[in-house]
Amino acid sequence: MYNARKTLPYRIEMYRQLKRKRTLFAYVFVMSLPIIVALAVKFGTSGNSTGPTRFGSGTADLIGLATKGALNFTSTMFYFATPFLLVAVISIFNGDTVASEANWSTLRYLLASPVPRSRLLFQKLKVSLTLSAFAIVILVGTSWVVGEIAFGNAPLLTPLGVTMAPHMAIPRLLIVAGYLAINLLSVAGLAFYLSVATDVPLGAVGGAIGIMILSNILDAITGLGTLRNWLPTHYSFSWFDAFSATIDWTQMIRGASYAVMLFGILISLAVLRFGKKDVTS
Amino acid sequence: MRMKDVTDPRFTRLSAVVSAALIFLSTLFIGTSFASSPVTTHDLTLPGASGVQLDSTIFIPSVTPAPAILLAHGFGGDKSSVAAQARELAQAGYVVLTWTARGFGKSTGEISMDSPSGEVADASKLIDYLAHQKEVIVQSSRDPLVGVAGSSYGGALALLAAGYDKRVDAIAANITWNNLERVLFPQNVIGSTATGPYKKFWAGTFFSIATLPNSLAGECGTFTKEWCNAFKSAVATGASTASQSKLLNASSPSSIAEKITAPTLLMQGESDSLFPLSESTATADAIRVAHPKTPLAMIWHGGGHDGGLDETKRLNQATLDWFNTYLKKQAVSIPAFQVTNTNGSISLIDSSVIPKFLQADRFPNQSGSRQIPITTPFTALVAPIGGIPAAISSLPGVGSAATALSIAGGSAAFLPGQSGFLESDPLTTPVSIVGASKVSVKISSSVKDATLFFSLVVRTPSGQTKLPNGIVAPVHVTGLSGAGSIFTISLPSVVVDASIGDKLAVAISTTDQGYTLPQDGRLYSVSIASPLTIPLLDFKSSASKSAQFVWPVSTVVVILLAALFAYIRRARHSGKPQVESNALVSVTNLSKVYKDGYQAVTDLSFEVERGQVLGLLGPNGAGKTTTLRMMMGLIFPTEGEIAIEGKPIYPGSPTLANLGSFVEGSGFLPHLSGRENLELYWKSIGREEDPYIEEAIAITDLGSALDKKVRSYSQGMRQRLAIAQAMLGMPDLLVLDEPTNGLDPQQIKAMRGVLKDYAKTGRTVIVSSHLLAEVEQTCSHVVLMHRGKLIAFGPMKKILKRKGKVAANLEEIFIELVGDELTIGLNDTLQKKTNSLLNQIIQKGKGN
Repeated sequence: MYNARKTLPYRIEMYRQLKRKRTLFAYVFVMSLPIIVALAVKFGTSGNSTGPTRFGSGTADLIGLATKGALNFTSTMFYFATPFLLVAVISIFNGDTVASEANWSTLRYLLASPVPRSRLLFQKLKVSLTLSAFAIVILVGTSWVVGEIAFGNAPLLTPLGVTMAPHMAIPRLLIVAGYLAINLLSVAGLAFYLSVATDVPLGAVGGAIGIMILSNILDAITGLGTLRNWLPTHYSFSWFDAFSATIDWTQMIRGASYAVMLFGILISLAVLRFGKKDVTS
Repeated sequence: MRMKDVTDPRFTRLSAVVSAALIFLSTLFIGTSFASSPVTTHDLTLPGASGVQLDSTIFIPSVTPAPAILLAHGFGGDKSSVAAQARELAQAGYVVLTWTARGFGKSTGEISMDSPSGEVADASKLIDYLAHQKEVIVQSSRDPLVGVAGSSYGGALALLAAGYDKRVDAIAANITWNNLERVLFPQNVIGSTATGPYKKFWAGTFFSIATLPNSLAGECGTFTKEWCNAFKSAVATGASTASQSKLLNASSPSSIAEKITAPTLLMQGESDSLFPLSESTATADAIRVAHPKTPLAMIWHGGGHDGGLDETKRLNQATLDWFNTYLKKQAVSIPAFQVTNTNGSISLIDSSVIPKFLQADRFPNQSGSRQIPITTPFTALVAPIGGIPAAISSLPGVGSAATALSIAGGSAAFLPGQSGFLESDPLTTPVSIVGASKVSVKISSSVKDATLFFSLVVRTPSGQTKLPNGIVAPVHVTGLSGAGSIFTISLPSVVVDASIGDKLAVAISTTDQGYTLPQDGRLYSVSIASPLTIPLLDFKSSASKSAQFVWPVSTVVVILLAALFAYIRRARHSGKPQVESNALVSVTNLSKVYKDGYQAVTDLSFEVERGQVLGLLGPNGAGKTTTLRMMMGLIFPTEGEIAIEGKPIYPGSPTLANLGSFVEGSGFLPHLSGRENLELYWKSIGREEDPYIEEAIAITDLGSALDKKVRSYSQGMRQRLAIAQAMLGMPDLLVLDEPTNGLDPQQIKAMRGVLKDYAKTGRTVIVSSHLLAEVEQTCSHVVLMHRGKLIAFGPMKKILKRKGKVAANLEEIFIELVGDELTIGLNDTLQKKTNSLLNQIIQKGKGN
């Protein structure tokens, strides 16, 4: 008996994605950031050089504070990973998922089997979002472990001059990770929409990354004024507010809401588009 | 042509829309760039009190009569220093009068530091002048509707003018003093009437600002004799005399604050070691106690005489709001107390401070308090002979020496041996302090008196000390007993956050460069006598609570709308009628036009019964694949429909579960083996019956290659695996598109057998091919297609017996039916082979 609710189960789709080299490479990519940075600081010369914004210089910014223990190292890794690394990885997971099926011609057999079109999208979205969230978990985990090994344990110092003992700093880092996860939904939504719109996986992934880079560039043009508030990346660093003594949630609430809003709109468009599409791949 | 364009109704409509848009845009443009209305200015010399001539400018707005504002400048400036703000206020609809204070610039007279008979009397004269101007709204004779605003020197004038002249209707005073004596001889022992150490650095700076540009007039510049002498005596003695005290008090708003009934806006800077925040609190208290109903608001901003954060724009707006509320009676909601927390956040782009604005409905000294135990019992300190070296807590006009943000390095504000800290235990909850804290200490000295500088600092676990804005509270006590005496100290008013793990500490220093210090060496000990009392006030972020919900709520609304839109616009399939037919598959009037306008299928109708092997026949481009894709629910028919067992086919229709398909090449996950692909496919399609996986595997004829990755398969292997996948679960209807492409002759033969056997079980097979000979050997029924149209349809035998004669093969029939239209020479065997090869290449290209 056919049961539409049993088509493309979550664990099957997860298995299909996990068996891909792409998934593994994406995670290795994420893990490599803290490892490379830690090695560079440990064995490179920049660790001992003077001047502001140098590793371990102790200046009051995220990079200068990076080598002051695992907590600081982790927060610096967040800073490094926010503008590109996480955007890239999340674009890969969400941009590749439907387009690659079209590319392999497996999409038409799944749809004809039949997996209802919206169900196919939602099952794929669930899996790609899980993989994306896991990328953030891996970033935090690796940074922490690498930071602990390389720089030991120390209280979190923030550029705002606040010092936080681990029992206070850890929840803050979790807030940052959580906020990043929500904020990056806009990237995920965009990549997923493009994945439905094109049969070329690289086009979807590259398109999403390109738009985010463009958004970052526009955000740096101060002449655009408040128009920049509507750029998807405008709130990408709002997690920084979690490092002040009393958290001002204003920017994070805005950023999270805006990301969720964009995500909702883009996913609706994706479902609509896919539902009416002639699958010719 | 031109004539026609103009009379064309579309053109007229378009031009109307365009001109409307242009008019709208131009109003916007004028509205923003030429900012509302023109302002006319007149330079005048107006009479002040006691014959002084004041160099003035009046700014007249476009709409008159209007309320008036006296805008006073700061110490050392002149009327031009406030011209920009004056113009802004005039553009907002006020008559603004600016003037150079007596003793400065082109005005005559001598500086008497806002004394009632000097500058304050001048202000009254200016109000007299305004009362006679037709541009100014006058309430009764000689009483114009007037507000007074100013910063520092001008701010004190605003307060004093409101105290002395009842005609003032609203005031806004920024970074100014409450009591000049307390400012210059600060004393922070609560209840003490004695003066504290002389703030020589600031006093000297102030004095030189006014005297240096006028040094030709002598050492006193344009200061009055009294003020000049007072300064000289203060420098010489470091103390205040009775006559100085009288002079300073006369120029202090504290002397008349209880008389102020005009709505008062007080603004004070956090970065201000000259007129600290406590000055505004003192003024606010005096006004509130005397006239509780007087509208009163206070803003603590990030600026001040030490520099800090430039909030001019915001403060000018607040001033305008205040006058709009109390001079124009416009309803603007202004919180009682606003605070800028400069420690809010830092821009990651340029490391600039992003301030946070907090607001409360009460003042700091009206709030509750919290006690924090101090656990360091005492500290011993040395005061060096001659007071040198001295700690540097702030640099007048430059900023605090130890900013709130400095982390690295030692602080010049606390010199070893000369400073000590009475600390709390590490905090277990975060603390936000806004206002003045209190603490009682026992002070003993090697002599009978003590001069000490107290401050509230935050010490972090990593050993850094944060002195908020470099503000200290000087203390001078006399008559100490040998065992020491207990005093309650009011610590500086600050805005500072401390987090968990930080310690709050009362810092004590024996020296400070900004003050006159005892010249003899001393030893002090300071021990703690009470817990630290810090103010507690409930703040909200300046964005109101409801504003915090705007984003999440609008997000939910937008998502609901998007989902609703998607739901309404979705492709609808339910409600299509059942097709009255006993056939397994019925294709009715099927047409497909692609988006690019290509008509792939035109008005196609045929039926397929159970147990048939139907051949869908035609040359490339005949519309076979398009038809099969529509049968699989992959593409939408433009017209007509396909039904299986009478149920219409649409994407995801459950009927499709009974259809196994192979269309336009295989589709597998290249990174998995053939076996895994089959298993995963079966698990993905939501069916529970027996997949007959072994039978399917037998058909693939892959042997050990089944466990190799599909990536490594040849075209033929993928083809067989794909046909096996289509047969998984033995569906009632099997749809195969060009199944024999890429197979070798033996495999083709085997495939024929498989298909025939499949049909014998009562199941149905639809096979498409462009190889007519191929179909002839396999199929029981035939649909002949050409250029998207049905040419012939029926049992194979019947088709072959067409027109009474038995044809040798289908190809003859086909050519006969199609005639010259057919472009492919079907009899030419070579052509046929080339065609098949081409097709294979195309398939291969798609497969990769």
